[in-house]
Amino acid sequence: MTTALILLPIAGALLVWLLPWPTSRAAGGLALLVALAELFLWIVAVRGFDFGSGTLQQGADVTWFADLDASYKVGLFDFSLWLVGLTAFVGVAAIAYGMWAGRERPRAYFGLLLFLTGATIGVFSAQDLLLFYLFFEAMLIPLYVLIGVWGGTRRAVATVKFIIYTMAGSLLMLVAVIALGLANETFDLTRLQANDNPWIFLGFVAAFAVKAPLWPFHGWLPDAYREAPTEVAALLSGVVSKTAAYGLIRIVLPSFPEPVVDFRTVILILASVGLVYGSLLAFRAHDVRGVIAYSSLAQMCLIVLGIFANNASGLDGALLQMINHGLVSAALFLLAGAIERRTSTARLELLGGMARGRPLLASLLLATGVIALAVPLSSAFAAEFLILNGVFDRGWGYAVVGALAIVLAAMYTLRLISAVLHEDVGSAVHPQALDLRPAEVAIIGALVVALVALSFWPAGITDHAFTAVLSAR
Amino acid sequence: MTGAAWTALVSPAVAVVLIALAGERITRRGAGFLAAGATLVSFVATLVVFFALLGRDAEERSESSTLWTWLSAGDLRFGFEIAIDPLSVFMMLVVSGVGFLILSYAVGYMHGDVEERRYHAYKALFVFSMLLLVQAGNLLLLLAGWGMVGLSSYLLINFWHQRGSAVRAGKKAFIMNAFGDATFALALFILIAETGTLSFAPVFERAPEALGEGSTLATLVALGLLGGAVAKSAQIPLHTWLPDAMEGPTPVSALIHAATMVTAGVYLIARTNPLFELAVDIQHLAAILGGVTIVVAGLIALVQTDIKRVIAYSTMSQIGYMFVGAGLGAYGAGLFHLMTHAFFKALLFMAAGIVIHALAGEQDIRKMGGLGRELPWTFRFMLIGALALAAIPPFAGFFSKDAVLASAANAGKLGWVLWGLGAAGAFLTALYTFRMLFIVFGRQASGFVREHLHKERFEGPLAMAWPVAVLAVLAVVGGLLQIPGVWHAVDDWIHPVAESIEEASGATAILSALAALGLSLAGIAVAWILYRRPSRAPERARRTAPWAAQLLENRFFVDEAYDVYFYEPASRGASFLHRFVERPVFLTTLGDLGASVRGGGRRLGTAQNGVVRSYAFAVAAGAAVLLVVFLIAS
Repeated sequence: MTTALILLPIAGALLVWLLPWPTSRAAGGLALLVALAELFLWIVAVRGFDFGSGTLQQGADVTWFADLDASYKVGLFDFSLWLVGLTAFVGVAAIAYGMWAGRERPRAYFGLLLFLTGATIGVFSAQDLLLFYLFFEAMLIPLYVLIGVWGGTRRAVATVKFIIYTMAGSLLMLVAVIALGLANETFDLTRLQANDNPWIFLGFVAAFAVKAPLWPFHGWLPDAYREAPTEVAALLSGVVSKTAAYGLIRIVLPSFPEPVVDFRTVILILASVGLVYGSLLAFRAHDVRGVIAYSSLAQMCLIVLGIFANNASGLDGALLQMINHGLVSAALFLLAGAIERRTSTARLELLGGMARGRPLLASLLLATGVIALAVPLSSAFAAEFLILNGVFDRGWGYAVVGALAIVLAAMYTLRLISAVLHEDVGSAVHPQALDLRPAEVAIIGALVVALVALSFWPAGITDHAFTAVLSAR
Repeated sequence: MTGAAWTALVSPAVAVVLIALAGERITRRGAGFLAAGATLVSFVATLVVFFALLGRDAEERSESSTLWTWLSAGDLRFGFEIAIDPLSVFMMLVVSGVGFLILSYAVGYMHGDVEERRYHAYKALFVFSMLLLVQAGNLLLLLAGWGMVGLSSYLLINFWHQRGSAVRAGKKAFIMNAFGDATFALALFILIAETGTLSFAPVFERAPEALGEGSTLATLVALGLLGGAVAKSAQIPLHTWLPDAMEGPTPVSALIHAATMVTAGVYLIARTNPLFELAVDIQHLAAILGGVTIVVAGLIALVQTDIKRVIAYSTMSQIGYMFVGAGLGAYGAGLFHLMTHAFFKALLFMAAGIVIHALAGEQDIRKMGGLGRELPWTFRFMLIGALALAAIPPFAGFFSKDAVLASAANAGKLGWVLWGLGAAGAFLTALYTFRMLFIVFGRQASGFVREHLHKERFEGPLAMAWPVAVLAVLAVVGGLLQIPGVWHAVDDWIHPVAESIEEASGATAILSALAALGLSLAGIAVAWILYRRPSRAPERARRTAPWAAQLLENRFFVDEAYDVYFYEPASRGASFLHRFVERPVFLTTLGDLGASVRGGGRRLGTAQNGVVRSYAFAVAAGAAVLLVVFLIAS
C-alpha cells in the first residue's frame, strides 16, 4: 500500500511527461486526476489502518544492498500517515491551482509537481536511512527546477541560495547517515540502536534546521518563498518544510536520546529566538508573501519547541501544528497568488480596500487569517496550547516567550488582513479586479473547510498518533 | 435538560452557518430575524434548564455533559464539555435574554446597510461564543469561548471597515485581549502541571492540595486568570481598547461592550473563585484595580463629548464595582450588579442609538440639545437608564450598587478604602450621566438638531422601539430581585457554585446606602447647576486647572504610554532586526555565499587553461606537497 502511495505520483509524473498533448489543460488535468487518485488511495490506507496497535503498517521490505544491510523498506506509522495525507491533499490543491492559473511548458511543470509529491511521501514513509536520504534529495531536484525555471524575476538568485543552503545541509546529513548506518551495521530505521555521538546528531539537526528552516539557517527562505510560483511556494512551505520536522521526530529523537537531552536547552533557546524573530519580521514585512514567509519561520520554530519538549503534549501539539500550518500556509500562499494576479503586486502599501465588492476573497482571507493567528477554538489554537503546555514542563520561560509570540502573531496577521482588505482602496487595486473565481473558491475553500473540520475535532489527530512512541515510555 | 442546554449553545451557531450559506437567497431583514430567532431559541432553552434546576435541591443543581473528546495528549483529555449549574444558567439568562432584545433592535438599526447579512451573522457568532464562554465545562473550553468573543468583537468593531479608525480600533481590541488570553493560557499550564486536568470540579477539588494556599504557584495562577479578566473587562491598566471599540455599530456596543462580553471578567472570577481564594492577595488586587477604575473612568467620562464614549467610560466604571464585589468575595453582589447593569446599560446604549439614528449618525453631544421635546419617549427611556445608572431608588442600579458597597463596608480596612472609591464613583456617575442627559435632551434645540433631525413614527422604527421599552421595564424592576435584609434571590441561587462572604449588617448597609444615595443626588444637583443651560462654568473650571483638563481629555495618557512603551519598541525592534540583522547577515552575507562560490569557481576555472606546461607543473607541485606530507606523517 505504501509503495503504491509513493509510486503512483511518480508514475503519474512520467505519464504526464510523455503525454502527446502539450496543453496546460491536458497535462494539468491528467496530473490532477493522478493527485486525486493519490488522495483516494490515502483514504483507503486510513480505512485499513489499525490505530490501536502503534506498529509499522502497510509496509514493504526488499533487500537493496545486502552487504550494507540497506533495503527498500517503507511503511507507515500513525503519525506519518497524517503527514502523507497532508501531502496528498495539498498536492491536489497545488496542482488544481496551477492548472487553473495556467503555466508554460505544462507537461514538465505538472510532471515535476507530481514527482515532488511522490518524493515527499517517500520521505514520510521510508524506513531505511539510505532510502530516506534518497527521497530527501529527490525532493529537492524538482524544487530547484520549479523555482529556477518558473519563478519570478529574481528566481536565479533565489534558486542559487536555495541550492547552496540545502546542498550544505544534505552533505552534512549524508555524512551523518553513513556514520550512523555504519555504527549500527544496518540502515534499517526500525532497528537503529541509541547512539550518543553528538557529531552525528548535529549533522542531522543541521540538515533539518536548514530544510525547515530554523533560525539562524533561514537565509534562503524569503527569496525562495517570494520567487517560487504560487503553488510551489504552497507546497514548499506547507509540506516540504514538514519533512524536516518529521525527520527530527522519526530519526533524531529515537536515535540520539543522550544528545537530545544535552542539546535541548540550546535548541529550545534557538527556537524561541526564531519564534520571536520571525514574528517581528513578519510584522515588518512589506509584502504579502514576506509576511507569510516569516510567519512560516516562526511557526516552524514553534513546532520545534514542541518536538524538543519531547513529551506527549509537545509531540501531539507539534504534529497537529504541522498539519495545521501545512493547510494554513498553503491557503495563504494561494490567496497571495490570487491577490497578485489581480493587482500585479504584493506590496502592502499598494493594496487595501479589497473587501468591498469581493466577499469571497474577504471571507476566505479572514477565515484563514484568524486560524493562522490561532484564535481559540481553532485547531491551531489547540496545537499551540499543547506545544506550549509541553514546553512549559521544560521551563516556564519558553512558554512565556511562546505566549508572547501569540500576541505578535495576532499583530502581524491582523496587519496583513487589514492591509489587503480594509480602509482605502490601494492604488494597485483596480475597481474591476474580480472577486475570487469559482475554481479559486473551490481550491482554497477546500483547504479552509479542512481546517474548520479539524477545529471541531483536533483529537482526531492527537488521539491517533504516537501510540507506539508514547506507550514505550 | 442537557438537551436544552446544548440547544441553547448550538442554536446561534446554526444561524451563523445558515446565513453564511444562504448568501443572497434570504433577505437582509430575514438574516436579522434568523439571528434574533436563534437567540430567542437559546433563551427559551435556557428557561427550560433554569426551571429544571429550580425544581431540584440547591446542592444537586450542578451537572456536566460531554459530547466528545475535543483535544487529547497522552493522559490529558479535554472534552467538549458544558457545565449546567446555577452560575452558568444565570449568565445564560442574561446573555440570551438581553442578547435577544438587542438583536431584535439591530434588525431595525442596521436596516438598509449594504452588508447587513454579514452583520447579523457576526452577531449570532458572538452570541454563540458568549454562550460557549459561560457554558464551558472546563477551563480550556472557557478559554476558547474567551478568545471567540474577542474574535467576534473584533469583527464587529471594524464592521465598517472603510473607516480607518474602526479598523485600528478593532485591531487594538483584539491585540489587548490577546495579551489577556496569553496570561490566561499560562495560568492553565500551571494548573495542568499541578492537577493534571482542567475540568472545573476536579481542578477546584485538587487545587488546594496541589498548589497550596498562598503559595507562589497559586499566586501565579490567580494572576494569570486576573490578566485575562482585566483585559476582557477593560479594567485598568488594559482598558484603552474599550472606548475605541465604540467605532462599531451601536447595537454592538450595547450587546458586547456593555451588557455581556465585558462583564466576562467578573464571571471568570466568580467561576474560578476556589482558585482566587488560594491567593487572596491577587483577589484583593482585582478589587483594587476595580476600585481605581471606578474613579478614573468616572473622571474621564466627565469630559467626553461623544455620547457613546460617555457611556463606554461609564461601563468601565460600573464593571469596576463588579470587580470590587467579586474581588472581596461578594460574588452574589458582583453578579447582581452585572445583571442590572446589563439591563440599564443596554437601555442607555439603545436609547442613544435612537438619538444617533434620528440625527443621521451624529454622536457629538456638543451639537445636540433640546431633544427632550422632539423625542419624548426616547428621553423617558434615557432618563430611566440614567436614574438606574446613578443608583437612585427604586431603579435597578440602586439595589445592586448598594449591595456591592455594603459588602465593601463589611470587609475591613481595605474594604473601607474601596468603599470610599465606590462612593466617590457614585458622585461622579451621577454627575457625568446627568451632564450628558441635560446637554442632549435639555436646553434649546441646536441649529444642528433643527437641520438634521428626522423623526419616524415611534421616534424610530418599531423594531427598535419595543426592545428598548422592555429593557426600560427591566431597569425599573430588575433591582427588586435582591433587597438587603429582605431577600437575596441572587445570592441564594449562585451560592452552590460561589459562596459569598457574609453581607453587611443592617445598620452598616443602611448607612452605606444613605451615604451613597446622598452623593448621587449631589452629583445630579451639580450637573443641574452646571449643565442645565449653556454656561461658562465648565470653561472657567478648565481655565483654573488646565493640567487637570489636559490629563482627563488625554485619558491620563495611557494610550500614549502604550504607544511609547509597547508598540513603538516592537515596531522599531522589528525594523532594527530587518535592517541590521536580517538584511546584512542573512540576506546579504550568507545569501552571497552562492555568489562567492560561483566567483571562486570562475577563478578556479582559469586553472583549466589547456596549456600542458601548467598542468605538468601542477602535478609536480602536488606530488611534492604529498611527498612532504608523507615524510612528516611517517
